Amino acid sequence: MQINRRKVLVGSTAATLLSVARPRIGWAAKDPIRIGVPTAISGPYADLGNQVKRAITLAVDAANAAGGVDGRQVEVRYLDTEAKADMARQQGEKLALSGFNLLTSAIASGEALAIGPQLARWDALYVSTINKADDITGKSCVPRMFRVNRPDAADAAVVQPWLKQQKQQKWAILAADMAWGRNSGMSFKKAADANGRTVVGESYSPFGTNDYAPYIQKIADSGAEALWVAITGRDGITFAQQAKQFGLFDKVFTAGVSFIADNQVNALGDALKGVWGIINYSSTLDTPGNKAFVAEWEKKYPGTSPSNFEGETYVGMQVIFQAVQKAGSVKPGDVAKAMAGGSFDTIFGKQLMRQEDHQLLGPNFFGYVGEVNGKLKPIITMTVPADVATPPPDGSCKLAG
Amino acid sequence: MSIKRGVFPIVLLAIAIAGGVLPTLVGSALLLTLLTQAVINAILASGVGFLVRQNGLVSFGHAGFFGLGAYIVALSATYHVMPIGFALALAILAPALLALLLGLAILRLVGVAFSMLTLAVAQAFYELVLHWRELANGDDGIAAELPPRILGLDLAMFQQPGSMFLICWAMLILLLFGLRLLVESPFGTLTLAIRENEERARFIGFETIVPRAIVYAISAAIAALAGVLFTLYNGFVTPNVLYWSLSGEALVMAVIGGTRAVWGPALGAVIFFLFKDAAGDLTEHWPAIIGGTLIVVTVLLPRGVSGTITMLLERLGARAP
Repeated sequence: MQINRRKVLVGSTAATLLSVARPRIGWAAKDPIRIGVPTAISGPYADLGNQVKRAITLAVDAANAAGGVDGRQVEVRYLDTEAKADMARQQGEKLALSGFNLLTSAIASGEALAIGPQLARWDALYVSTINKADDITGKSCVPRMFRVNRPDAADAAVVQPWLKQQKQQKWAILAADMAWGRNSGMSFKKAADANGRTVVGESYSPFGTNDYAPYIQKIADSGAEALWVAITGRDGITFAQQAKQFGLFDKVFTAGVSFIADNQVNALGDALKGVWGIINYSSTLDTPGNKAFVAEWEKKYPGTSPSNFEGETYVGMQVIFQAVQKAGSVKPGDVAKAMAGGSFDTIFGKQLMRQEDHQLLGPNFFGYVGEVNGKLKPIITMTVPADVATPPPDGSCKLAG
Repeated sequence: MSIKRGVFPIVLLAIAIAGGVLPTLVGSALLLTLLTQAVINAILASGVGFLVRQNGLVSFGHAGFFGLGAYIVALSATYHVMPIGFALALAILAPALLALLLGLAILRLVGVAFSMLTLAVAQAFYELVLHWRELANGDDGIAAELPPRILGLDLAMFQQPGSMFLICWAMLILLLFGLRLLVESPFGTLTLAIRENEERARFIGFETIVPRAIVYAISAAIAALAGVLFTLYNGFVTPNVLYWSLSGEALVMAVIGGTRAVWGPALGAVIFFLFKDAAGDLTEHWPAIIGGTLIVVTVLLPRGVSGTITMLLERLGARAP
């Protein structure tokens, strides 16, 4: 064979192209991990959506900087749901059908309950990091839905022993008129009954309420000595500001769930000082995993520490990444299989994803808003271990296969 | 209207066939589901546009009829109160009857007063499902427990975008054809006459309220049909299907498309829906883009997209030898 200049040129060009292309081919052989986040970017829960975004950004950036997960790049796409169930269904479908089929982190429970029945049709999976309604891992559970955050039942398990120590006899409830708020109100009533307390008033305010005066008036008129609040996001801030102006917190002892979350405290300052509540995650947690997480967080977002919802969402990302690693696949069906019954290293330590209802077992906490180093912060006073804090499945979830 | 009479059925047939083969051409499930939703919106917008065209009235409350149709199907399927066939019929007839009675009462009002009352009625239904939690699960919405077979078809036919697109498309084509026949009938001419000058119509001996109420009822039935298709496809409804923003969107669709042609609002709906989706991908502030576009469309194309198309076609026709 005669070698001429042209052949050399063609040959060397081809060789160069191949050598350049090979690592790319190797990279492309593994599908990227595509995370779809249908969450509240606008509306009363936009601040929660923003926290979700910060936690996911941190997790994804760190994973990609370390060369990906299971040798795969991580891609993420957010679509706004305004925390509305029908929008979550629409945006979830859009994300799933455009390939971002590992869904996570909607805010309102109603969103997860709207997404759940569609997961098989979309060939997607959903990991809840914020949604608390018991039905998600109860009667509405589906094989492709998982939850890493604490459900309402776990909050109730913390309220029970705490309520026993409280001297107030007459309680009022104010909760968001949605799946989570209703669930929380019902659980609190049960806890009150079990402890011989009476519930003298029960109100549910619609999502996006601007004027809480009628509710505040009703609570004040009910003769309640104490108040249980399940309102969060902008609604929680609006309520707390108006309640403070009215002097409600001085007259009535107040506690709640997702009400004294970090961002609420940052936004409201003194208005929430001394208010009690459930804490699902705190940056002060003393585990090696959490310390590393907080350090990483403070480097990425200087001057802040991860909030309640940010911590919980980060756990979701840890679980998804580890499940992909274990499955060696990004197909939602494979990832779901790896998730169910699996054990995961998270910022809380080692956690089990229960096979029966797809609920991640974890501890839960109670505390109040107080001063730490001159800064107001939710402070943990009571820790309930994972086996007590996550009650066994009540049998309402039937996962076939 | 200015297009020659014989042309409309042929063009409609051509468009019908083009739509019919679309699912086999479109590979993307995402695009198909968007198109299906766009066609359901097109049916709703056709109802709103028909009311504007025949009665000269602007409804701010058509979401009320849409949502009522959607909720009647969802609730009757979930509580198993009647066979699904009856439920589907009731879901279209009940809103129509409501509109007829309502029309007889409020059609004497003109302009804004009428629009405001339509808004009030729709919002009343919205508040009802929002607050009556035991009935319809409030803000969180309700998953309709639809039976496995509906009118002899598998439920999957209604819930897979490929087949549901065809069903909705066929409905839309039949609807436009029917509306076209209606507006060209003596009844259509009468209602146009009433729209132009009610007093004169009454003076020459026509009863003017009943025909207008019938137009209102037909337009409500069309909106309810869209609501029924919505529930069948999604299997899930929330109070948002009754909310005024949906009424507003339907009106915007009709304005973009133009109401002089019966097919205008449907075209406007498809444009609006796909445009909204694209704008939503681009930015979180998509309503601003929609708003800006609406201003441009109303200023530059006062007859809507359909009016402009018709005008261009006429000019072409005039130029041809």
